[in-house]
Amino acid sequence: MSVSRHLTSDGKELTISIHGKFDFGVVNDFRRAYSSLGDEKPRVYIDLRETEYLDSSALGMLLNMRKAINEHVESIHIINCRAEVRNILDISRFDKLFIID
Amino acid sequence: MLQPSKQAVIDIFHDDSSFAAQVIAEVRRLRLARKIRQRKLATWSAADHPPHPTLLVTVDATGVLTPALACAEQLLIVPEPLSIRELSRWPGEVIEWPLHPTHLSRRIQRVCNAFNTAGQLRAVRESLFWHNRRVDREYELIEHIFRNALSRNYLDYPHIRTLLAPAAKFNGDLCLVTPGPQGGLYVMMADFTGHGLAPATGALPLSQAFFAMADRGVSIAEMVTEFNYRLHRLLPNDMFCACFILELSASGERLSYWNGGMPPALVYDAEGTIRHRLKAQHMALGVLSPDDFDAQLVTIRTERSDFVALYTDGVIELLSQQHEFLGAETFERYLADYPSLSDFDRLVAKLESFRGNQPLHDDLSLAVLQCLPTELGAPDEEAEVHALPFSFESRLTVEDLQQLDVVSAVLSVLRRLPKLRSHRTTIYLLLAEAFNNALEHGLLGLDSRMKNDPEGFAYYYQLRAERLAALREGWIAIRVEYHPHEHYLKFNLAHSGEPYDLTELEQDNQIQRTYGRGVTLLQQLADNVQWHANGQSVEFGYYLNNGNSTAR
Repeated sequence: MSVSRHLTSDGKELTISIHGKFDFGVVNDFRRAYSSLGDEKPRVYIDLRETEYLDSSALGMLLNMRKAINEHVESIHIINCRAEVRNILDISRFDKLFIID
Repeated sequence: MLQPSKQAVIDIFHDDSSFAAQVIAEVRRLRLARKIRQRKLATWSAADHPPHPTLLVTVDATGVLTPALACAEQLLIVPEPLSIRELSRWPGEVIEWPLHPTHLSRRIQRVCNAFNTAGQLRAVRESLFWHNRRVDREYELIEHIFRNALSRNYLDYPHIRTLLAPAAKFNGDLCLVTPGPQGGLYVMMADFTGHGLAPATGALPLSQAFFAMADRGVSIAEMVTEFNYRLHRLLPNDMFCACFILELSASGERLSYWNGGMPPALVYDAEGTIRHRLKAQHMALGVLSPDDFDAQLVTIRTERSDFVALYTDGVIELLSQQHEFLGAETFERYLADYPSLSDFDRLVAKLESFRGNQPLHDDLSLAVLQCLPTELGAPDEEAEVHALPFSFESRLTVEDLQQLDVVSAVLSVLRRLPKLRSHRTTIYLLLAEAFNNALEHGLLGLDSRMKNDPEGFAYYYQLRAERLAALREGWIAIRVEYHPHEHYLKFNLAHSGEPYDLTELEQDNQIQRTYGRGVTLLQQLADNVQWHANGQSVEFGYYLNNGNSTAR
């Protein structure tokens, strides 16, 4: 499973991890991962620790996610980026839209 | 110790006098030994350690008296009482002849017993000495193995201070620190049941797994799952390992932890005010079977002025001179008095003065970490390896395009290039953008603007799959050149499809737009990007010697 999600038992943190390749191949899995958020306005973490490759479709998917859930969550964080991934996000000025940590 | 029912051998050294003959005859009559050997007194030496219980029989004792008698369990039999002065020169046993046979028999038996007991004691002492030497040697070997196993433990990390005090020679506590590939920091503190060599043995597989997994940058949830699996298999039922493991993000602002059976780690600010108590939510490692194990982590936000104190129960159960436990409250008060890293030595001194002369009853470990940005870069590049210059070209038919993951395939050809490792994600992205542009716009005639809303976005990729499956003709050609001296990769992609207007694709560059980012990324991450023939061919380069790609 290349997209996995985990909502903490108190409903306050949702972590979505993408393993391997983050591109249009996981478009439906990724949408499903944030489709139910619970009622607690969770803090959302997109964990790219194990994301080896990504392309511009992944950036599009992240933006779509933001449009869809931004009103219903506490904040959206992109975490554990390797240096290269971080560079790609910075060039795309994603730091203005997400909390990149 | 066993006492033989009858003495095997008694040696009698005598001076050949008639007195001696009389004594020997009497001793033989008593049948105290299976064998009684007679020796000339002249062959006896005070410096020797006799092999059997020994009697000395002589009329004139002057020749044998010496304070330097090697074995005191020898019996001197003389006809005249010895003077006080003579007695002071004879540390052994002595009797004056004649003596009633019952007394004689008792005295000789007593000397035999004393001689045998002293011999056994000596043998035990020697084997103990030999055993100790062997244990010392083995400890040295084990210490060597431990030193090597822990040689890469990064206890010198500038924002952590540690106190590791084992109660015995080997530490059943373990404190491991190592950087992760994403620039974060892993810290683990573990406490095996008991202390000494046995628990320390468990530390070996645990530390090896910790370092190997940290190198791969896996999450601590995965780590503890693996640790528990290993220890559950390895350890006997009555042994387990309490463990606190944390990962601090490179920014120092996010801390994830898993606590199995350890005292609560304390997060406090520069004033020493406790902000969080990171209590144990789990059982110790090695207790639960993998099916029942819970790797659930907790993540908290931290600030650069925050500190985390990790410690084993040896700290709060520290005994004072008056046999009082230190306790969690007092420990927290100490932390409040000495919160910062520069206070650490004073904190340790405070703990020491509490303990006084009381010996340590358990291993004691304490680590204080400050949540600053880690400033840990990516690990060093592998040593420079020179590669051959090469080029390759691939012309992909419709069938190839339908069946292959082209971008991954090209990247796998390049994988063996020196230094590629820290550039693979960027090169993948560049290739993917160029390839997808050629395929989606050139061959399949898709319009990116469709991707502007979430439904359209999904529909676009559905359409891409449908049109690709239905594609009947067309090709994409990829050419890659490698110039080793410049560490330069040059790519060229061409396609047989319709020309497309790049300027239209990229006319505005809003950051929130969900399409048209590919070309921007290409222009910013690659060198010498050039389009030819209205987008039917694109050329770009990439320098592998740019250090880390973040430098761009």
